Amino acid sequence: MMKIIKSVCDAQRHHFSHGGKLERFKPLFDATESFFFIPGIATVSDAHVRDSLDLKRFMSFVILALMPSFFFGIYNAGYQALIVSGSDSVFFPAFIKGLQIVLPLVIVSYTVGFFWELLFAVIRKKEISEGFLVTGLLFPMTLPPTIPLWQAAVGISFGVVIGKEIFGGTGRNILNPALTGRIFLFFAYPVRMSGNSVWTVIDEKTPDAISGATPLAIAAITQPDQAIDTVLSQAGYSFTKLFMGVYPGSIGETSALACLIGALLLIITGIASYRIIAGGVLGVLSIGWLLNILAADSSMAWQSLNPCSHLVMGGFAFGIAFMATDPVTAPGTDASKWIYGFAIGALTVLIRVFNPAYPEGVMLAIIFMNLFAPLLDYFTIKQRLRKRIANV
Amino acid sequence: MITVRLKKGCKLNIAGKPALETEVLAKPSHVALVPERIPFIKPRLKVRVGDRVKIGSPVFEDKRNPEIKFLSPGGGEIDVINFGPRRVIREIVIRVDKKEESVRFKPLTDQELETTQRDDLVRAMTDGGIWPFIKSFPFRDITDPQGRAPGIFINLGDSEPFQPRPEVYLQGAAELFEFGVRILRKLVEKVYVARRPGDSSIINSLNHLITHTCHGDYPVDDPGVMLYHSKKSSEENGSWYIDGQDVLHLARFFKTGLYPIERIMVLAGSQAHESKHFQTRAGVPLTELAQWHKYKTSGVRFVAGGLFRGYTGAKNSYMGFYENSLTLITQGDNEEAFGFIRPGYGKPSSSKTFLSCFNTSELALNCGLHGELRACINCGYCAQVCPVDILPQFTYKSVIADEIEESLAHGLLDCAECGLCTYVCPSKIELCARFKQAKAAYYKELV
Ligand code: SF4
Ligand code: SF4
Repeated sequence: MMKIIKSVCDAQRHHFSHGGKLERFKPLFDATESFFFIPGIATVSDAHVRDSLDLKRFMSFVILALMPSFFFGIYNAGYQALIVSGSDSVFFPAFIKGLQIVLPLVIVSYTVGFFWELLFAVIRKKEISEGFLVTGLLFPMTLPPTIPLWQAAVGISFGVVIGKEIFGGTGRNILNPALTGRIFLFFAYPVRMSGNSVWTVIDEKTPDAISGATPLAIAAITQPDQAIDTVLSQAGYSFTKLFMGVYPGSIGETSALACLIGALLLIITGIASYRIIAGGVLGVLSIGWLLNILAADSSMAWQSLNPCSHLVMGGFAFGIAFMATDPVTAPGTDASKWIYGFAIGALTVLIRVFNPAYPEGVMLAIIFMNLFAPLLDYFTIKQRLRKRIANV
Repeated sequence: MITVRLKKGCKLNIAGKPALETEVLAKPSHVALVPERIPFIKPRLKVRVGDRVKIGSPVFEDKRNPEIKFLSPGGGEIDVINFGPRRVIREIVIRVDKKEESVRFKPLTDQELETTQRDDLVRAMTDGGIWPFIKSFPFRDITDPQGRAPGIFINLGDSEPFQPRPEVYLQGAAELFEFGVRILRKLVEKVYVARRPGDSSIINSLNHLITHTCHGDYPVDDPGVMLYHSKKSSEENGSWYIDGQDVLHLARFFKTGLYPIERIMVLAGSQAHESKHFQTRAGVPLTELAQWHKYKTSGVRFVAGGLFRGYTGAKNSYMGFYENSLTLITQGDNEEAFGFIRPGYGKPSSSKTFLSCFNTSELALNCGLHGELRACINCGYCAQVCPVDILPQFTYKSVIADEIEESLAHGLLDCAECGLCTYVCPSKIELCARFKQAKAAYYKELV
């Protein structure tokens, strides 16, 4: 099998090499070939030996870590759709239904995104970076399952082009491309991205079915004199349910459990920085707790929410595990990673509490901190360098 | 005693470690000097093809400072002088006689050493061709004989794969080593000797000389790392350093009055027939050290001087002036199908993304990049291993932007040139090579 692929590659290579008719599409050829094979390049300069880890494997691990959330998201999207249409929601039909909802989105995201990647790779005569494999999957997982495919296409285009390519491609981008796309959709098509009706796919056959409200929406309409935790659990959102994630919401974001599994994988393998994740959790808990204390005479129901609930609601787990840890857009020093994580957690809670119009505060918090990452680095590096004994 | 504990660095468990036993290698028919592999020098030849030389006759000097001389490691006739591109002198090959003659230098007894003036000692060392063993920070160039230093670091370590073990070359030479240290004390006030923890009785017997114990992984025993972790002020940046085995050469020179040519070298690496120490001489042909006639394999790379800082030697080439190790490993230029999803139980990695992190046995490394060049993704792995707390990903950016001031502030000159950042980078960026280049360019500007 591999031999056949190899010989096909070898036979076609001349078209793409210098002077070949398809020379422009060399990035495409390289990407395809290197998908199958780690190229056999030997070192030329010192450090004669190199670690076995390369970017492709690095990114593959992020994708692997996304898998629990991904499969859970597929199941959940199908399950919710079946519930509202009144059918039995057993595992397999739910999963199949979920596949019908999610797969088209993923395919659109990858295809459209890949088109842009390729276009820019060809223009720049650069290789296609593996970072896109992650973006292409992350993006659809942040979307509500009802999103029209064309909007997904617009979103990923915006994310890849504006979020990444205009900065010079993977490694140079300041903003997380998947998040950029997602936020763009949020502001460009708010109707499609928020409210109660978008989180569950409803078949045309049952137009009057009512989908459940998301926990964030419930929290947002809670009156100040009601205890928010009680209201949530009365609506069926116990902490356990929120943690497990079987409720309507963005495709990949509902299950904190799945995100936790993914996050643990990323932390153990060292792909993601535990500092960002831990900082984020700390940020949520401490600000949530602080607000609890101040909540006594306040008018905002959100404020008295148990800080632990913040962790499992509204895609925070997903955001902090997979979006905030994107190394390119996160800061680079250990100290600034703690600050960055903490600030994301803190901002998430603050946005939720004080501006319930943007209930999914975590997205905004991350993109906001993306902008500040270089500044955090600037100051922490300066601090670090001050400690060095000068050597000039 | 100062204890240096290096938390960074990299644990390397590479197959092909040399055994402690030592074999005496037969006398080679040719030996050579390899000026190409001596950083920074500009050699001016003092011999021509066909000239007769003795052990210790000057062969070339450094145009930048003619006091720095390199002497012949063999007695016989200059056989050929090989040039590389732009007339770089590659190697000066000497066909050695059966019975070699040696130049006689003036030996020193212990008492004479005490009374000798520093200047005379330096002159004796430059004339005797042993001065170049002493190098200086931060550029790692040969020390200026007129120069002064706040201290000199002696490295009794072998953390880089693979180097001769100090307990092997110190075997029966403990006194000689002490004598060497006394010579160095005449040159610089402070002589630091660094060892790694262990229970070798020979090194223990030298404990009264030891000033630093270094705990940790490669490159903890590098003198540059040692310097970084023990320096108190900027004055120490210009410290000197010398390898432990080379101290013995200085001592032998003054004990015997002969140019020292004996060396303990290692042959190692996963492709080596037998990984062990050899007692041989300076400038030995690589194939003889490898005993290449016993091999039938191809695709083997000869690395002289360690897997991280050594150079790739052509098979018909010779051991350099500073190198004492030859590692044979596979070239690793074969493609690998679906490499990115393989479990990788046998793939060495400092990350935990391969099952090999559960594998405690020694793993073979090859010279493959195991990936392709990509843009830096700011993963920070390089900063996690850098032994001198540089943030290579940021320093690299300032280096390519030609921001000299900023690069220096980042600690560019502290860079121990260990190559670990390059080793771990998943984007396969040649960080260390670029830093070395930048240092060399800055050095050029200074002189
Ligand atoms: S910058 Fe790289 S080569 Fe220099 S000391 Fe740090 S890890 Fe080693
Ligand atoms: S290891 Fe390579 S990719 Fe990672 S931060 Fe350092 S230079 Fe960048």
